[in-house]
Amino acid sequence: MTMNHILKKDHLLPLLRRLAKEYRLVAPIRNPHGDTHYAEVEQVDALDLDLDHQPQESLKPFFFPQQETIATYTALSPEAYTIAPHSAFTPATLYFGVRSCDLAAILYMDVVFSQGVREVHYLARRHNSLLVGLNCNAPFPNCFCDATKNGPFREMGADLQLTDLGDRFLVEAGRAQGAAILARWPQFFGAAGEEESRKQYQLYLEARGGFQRQVHVDSAIRRLAEGKVDEAVWQQLSLRCQDCAGCAYVCPTCTCFTIMDRPQSATAGERLRSWDACTFAGFTRMAGGHNPVVQRSAAIKNRFLHKLKYDVEKHGRPSCVGCGRCLGICFGGTDMARFVELASGE
Amino acid sequence: MAGLATTFGSGAMTNAINEIEEAQVILASGSNTTEAHPQVARRMLDAVDRGAKLIVIDPRRTKLAECATLHLALRPGTDIALLNGMMRVILDENLHDDLFIEMRTENFLALRDMLFRLDLGEVEAITGVALEKMAAAARLYARAQRAVICYCLGITQHICGTDNVQSIANLAMLTGHVEKENTGVDPLRGQNNVQGACDMGALPNVFPSYQAVSEPEYRTKFETAWGVSLPEKPGLTLLDMTHGTSLRGMFIMGENPLLSDPHLDKVAATLGSLEFLAVSDLFLTETAKLAHVVFPAAAFAEKSGTFTNSERRVQLARQVIAPLGGARPDSAIVMDLAARLGMPMEYDSPAEVMEEIALLAPIYGGIFHDRLETGWGLQWPCWGREHPGTPYLHKYYFTRGKGHFVPARHVPASEPPDEEFPLVLNTGRVYHQYHTGTMTRQCPTLNREAERALLQVNPADAQRLNIRNGETVRLVSRRGAIELAVLLTEEVASGSVYTSFHFPEAPINRLTTAAADPKARCPEYKVCAVRVERVSP
Repeated sequence: MTMNHILKKDHLLPLLRRLAKEYRLVAPIRNPHGDTHYAEVEQVDALDLDLDHQPQESLKPFFFPQQETIATYTALSPEAYTIAPHSAFTPATLYFGVRSCDLAAILYMDVVFSQGVREVHYLARRHNSLLVGLNCNAPFPNCFCDATKNGPFREMGADLQLTDLGDRFLVEAGRAQGAAILARWPQFFGAAGEEESRKQYQLYLEARGGFQRQVHVDSAIRRLAEGKVDEAVWQQLSLRCQDCAGCAYVCPTCTCFTIMDRPQSATAGERLRSWDACTFAGFTRMAGGHNPVVQRSAAIKNRFLHKLKYDVEKHGRPSCVGCGRCLGICFGGTDMARFVELASGE
Repeated sequence: MAGLATTFGSGAMTNAINEIEEAQVILASGSNTTEAHPQVARRMLDAVDRGAKLIVIDPRRTKLAECATLHLALRPGTDIALLNGMMRVILDENLHDDLFIEMRTENFLALRDMLFRLDLGEVEAITGVALEKMAAAARLYARAQRAVICYCLGITQHICGTDNVQSIANLAMLTGHVEKENTGVDPLRGQNNVQGACDMGALPNVFPSYQAVSEPEYRTKFETAWGVSLPEKPGLTLLDMTHGTSLRGMFIMGENPLLSDPHLDKVAATLGSLEFLAVSDLFLTETAKLAHVVFPAAAFAEKSGTFTNSERRVQLARQVIAPLGGARPDSAIVMDLAARLGMPMEYDSPAEVMEEIALLAPIYGGIFHDRLETGWGLQWPCWGREHPGTPYLHKYYFTRGKGHFVPARHVPASEPPDEEFPLVLNTGRVYHQYHTGTMTRQCPTLNREAERALLQVNPADAQRLNIRNGETVRLVSRRGAIELAVLLTEEVASGSVYTSFHFPEAPINRLTTAAADPKARCPEYKVCAVRVERVSP
């Protein structure tokens, strides 16, 4: 990493205004009802930037939309048809204020969508994106990214990584694109000294101590690897699970989808991809009615094994990023923290 | 409604939903809570995690029953007998709350005399619940310091629905389990705004805020406000409308009686004989297809206004998108219609309608849109602008003054099984669909999870009937027959079958009986006699 910089908060809005001329801007914005979402910045002057609350959803929908057209088809005759891939233009987008968990999730999706079959729609959006991360000085009530080891501060993955030092941000350039921004608009950035680095480390220590939850993900991972998680755990979870799939929809790393054709006329239509969830019976049921995942508990088991066992075996780390969103949305009490508590036996 | 209104003076949840979490004992009766009220079930299960005891009274072994400390699997339609049995045990073991009965209730002696004449052996025979189990449940409930009873349609949809509710109220009063925080009697409402509809007088006998139509004082109040003269006779109940012959025209809003009402052939005959039928709904329902005029109504996200939920909480919902496809908010439809009928209603906004509600409905007296903008809504009764709302009811005294014990005796179901129709049919909901499917059947993901009606059959019965899992059978009652697929499950006891009423492809209400509770006129959806026939040999 090259020399660090500082950005005074007074100059944040001018910088964003400058950047908005080059990029589509997405940032955590508070809407009139008091909810915070990552959303496109329409007008920098009217921007209600909210860096104090966790955005309700991750950045997943921007890269992997809930529903999108991936192809269109036309029947030429009863025997023949053409199918044309659908390419959606995505303008160059700068994502500002990306939380450590959401950043980690994008890095995970990069792997999922580029290995094996390359997912062109995702990759097109990804290649046209710039990520400006924001370290979390104060973890939110449901957060446990320390336990999944991808937060609260990040050292890599973002193009630029910010730390809030009070009246200024410490700016670290993580990747070439970030360095290019520093080089192109140097007037916004000053040089950071020893003091800023010391302060950042102090904030990191305090943030690490600020988690309100203890979620022993490592114990759960170990016990899953050793095959020590009791069948009763899955039974208990399946009794509680309300099958709403809210966890999968808010999860920044859940990437299951389904594909369906929607006719638009007698001879033409579009092929859609939408989010799906592995816990739905319809996700695994075959056309003839047979479902290889017989028990509800098996469907739930699969979800947690995927996150904490299969992905650990495959990629060396779990695909839970500790954002805690499933804790907020789950109304059966079968979220990740609950599972870890039951599975780790602690 | 009728049951709790008589005994307590108010027909609504006495607690806030969150209070359930703090209870030591939760008695859930006739409620498939995890499927029908998942948000309430969450509180129950959280309470269980904190050590609360859960007693489930249900003929079916539901998911909730599997989480229960005690599951009393009674025979369908024997709730009164079971509750009386529990109360008798409480009396015998001196677990009742003398002081509460003395201070806050009346007519206890009538209940006591009835209970002392009760034969517990007979109760066991009627309900099929072992005496020890019943006694254990009675002790658990009576000894708790904080106990709630949650009940739902499994209690009300019987010919003795009102008596069932009153028996529940008797049990709560006998043990002093009302009038406190985290303690009370909680009927769970089936829709987001059914409480609000009742509050606004969408009932035959009351104006908004439960002001009786028969009382001249209230009539005058509304006549003055609206500048019309109002009938002194209560209107017809839903069942009397859809099963009667007296009506010439109907305007149906957001209701699909051609799927949801019992004995559908009769409903179809009634609706078919109308000179004029208008329906307003989100989609073209089975009922709307019969209508002469259909008004496309706006969905929740396309309009602003309030909903009043089960716990009497009035919450503001805000419009997020413009109505699609020519749909209009209900209020706009009603106002235009009223204007054409010579009764112009000039409200500029839902907030203005709310102001009139506050003016005329005392329990909503302090509820205005500006107060709902922030926070989490207000729970009625809310008597004035400064009033903070009421999380739990009947503090200091019951709404009607003293709680009134109404002893009830076991009433046999209207149609017990016999040789010709040997099985008891019970109907309800499944998790992934809602009511007549007007909304949920439009959603591909939900349809994928529950795409057709399934008849739950106990494996022992299936073996006797020689039917397999997944097989399509014909289900026959005295009123009609439908074909549907079988799901073998231990969830239903031998001798009973269960299915849902969501699917027009298999409209189960063609079979159900229109026999109804004499007071509330709620039909007995939960019990009728049927037989299963094989379709292909």
